[in-house]
Amino acid sequence: MTATVEPSEFKFVSFDADLIASIADGLVDVLGIDRPVHVIVDEATPLARTRTEIGDTITIRVESGAFEDARQPRHQSELSTAATLARALLRARDRISGGFGEAPADDDLDLRQIAAWEVYCVGRMERLGVPVNPQRWKYNFRNRHGFNDIADAAFERIWAADGLSWGELEAVSTAGATA
Amino acid sequence: MRKFFPVDSLARDSRFNQITMSQSQADPRSPLMAADTDKRPKANRLQPSRPDASDAARSLMHGIFVGEIQALEGAGRTCHDFETGTEAPFALKLDMARQAWDEARHVEISVKLSEWMGSEIGQYAENTVLFEAACSTDPVLRLAGVNRALEGLAIDVFTTMKEFGGIAGDPYLEFCEDWMLADEVTHVKMGSDWLRRITENDPDRRKKALEFQSVVDKIFSFGGTRSDSQESPIGLARRFRELAGFTDAEVEDIADVSLRALEERKEFTRQAQADAVEQFAAS
Repeated sequence: MTATVEPSEFKFVSFDADLIASIADGLVDVLGIDRPVHVIVDEATPLARTRTEIGDTITIRVESGAFEDARQPRHQSELSTAATLARALLRARDRISGGFGEAPADDDLDLRQIAAWEVYCVGRMERLGVPVNPQRWKYNFRNRHGFNDIADAAFERIWAADGLSWGELEAVSTAGATA
Repeated sequence: MRKFFPVDSLARDSRFNQITMSQSQADPRSPLMAADTDKRPKANRLQPSRPDASDAARSLMHGIFVGEIQALEGAGRTCHDFETGTEAPFALKLDMARQAWDEARHVEISVKLSEWMGSEIGQYAENTVLFEAACSTDPVLRLAGVNRALEGLAIDVFTTMKEFGGIAGDPYLEFCEDWMLADEVTHVKMGSDWLRRITENDPDRRKKALEFQSVVDKIFSFGGTRSDSQESPIGLARRFRELAGFTDAEVEDIADVSLRALEERKEFTRQAQADAVEQFAAS
């Protein structure tokens, strides 16, 4: 399977659609994704939100800031591209492979739940060899769970975890936000 | 030692990537153009309730960090660039030396806060416009552009970040921003006091300085970054500006300039995107 990217050429940013497709292909192989991936980049905004739709194809809608090199605005960062797609594909794989059936739809997740799931994805990404800064994700987790030892312990458990179900992830996150 | 140091020769190591204001303003993208939906209201004010709040705060923190470096360089240059007595009073230089010491401390605090928030030095581009405003050959214009316009913006930024830390429950962010905010109020007040003292009998020079301040205020409101509108990430900190010596009329002027800059940025983005589409089609 070859990932497809839309648009094929960019007007507002210096992004390379072939590079995005090649990174997505590599991740599809590593993560064992079982269906085609289509990436749609919104180059009109510098924001960095992603949305994923799962059907026969996994469609990832990305705002251009998510693939951008913050040191060189409007230029693509290979690392940011890989990290953004890896997080989206890991979330998709969680939903496809089972255990996350009762997870709310993406639009219905609250900020605490999003932060916890991000940590679960990024911890696995790090073990796959994608370079990450754990402190960035800990800071976001603390913003959503609290700046205290209980939240930090929950962060460490989720970061180190593999094979969690949604119920298990939600339980650790909820307990981490109780202080 | 060289006087009037050019902005393109500032000492930075390989971690930093500098961009000019014109490069920054040429970006045809803008968050201001995002559609207003239930899931994403059009408010861009930096608050923890924003889904991208942590990353937006990290980016702003890095902007503060490089701004503090340039403010340190600017205050230091003012101590050295002008002859004592004939061009700048000794007491003014003493105030600038004190400010340089404050800015050096702010740089250290900003580095620590950036680490705490998960950023690395040089992770974001450094816009050099602050130092550019500190390159005027008239010390009074420097005080108007840097101390009143840019340090005034710093009051707005630190107030927003302090409130962010308070709402999020981040004790370090709230505490550090509060302390730096106190220093910034002092820096702005120094600018206001010196501007009035030096131009007391020179209304033309005062007028030029205030015009320069207005230009810098407008440049720094680019992209609608700072205004009373909820569409701007940073609000106007009226109370602290009052404490720093701004009159009510001056604050209203800045509010008007900022709102105009916000609308101009939206218009620029519409036009820039249309131009880019046209160029792409032609190619």
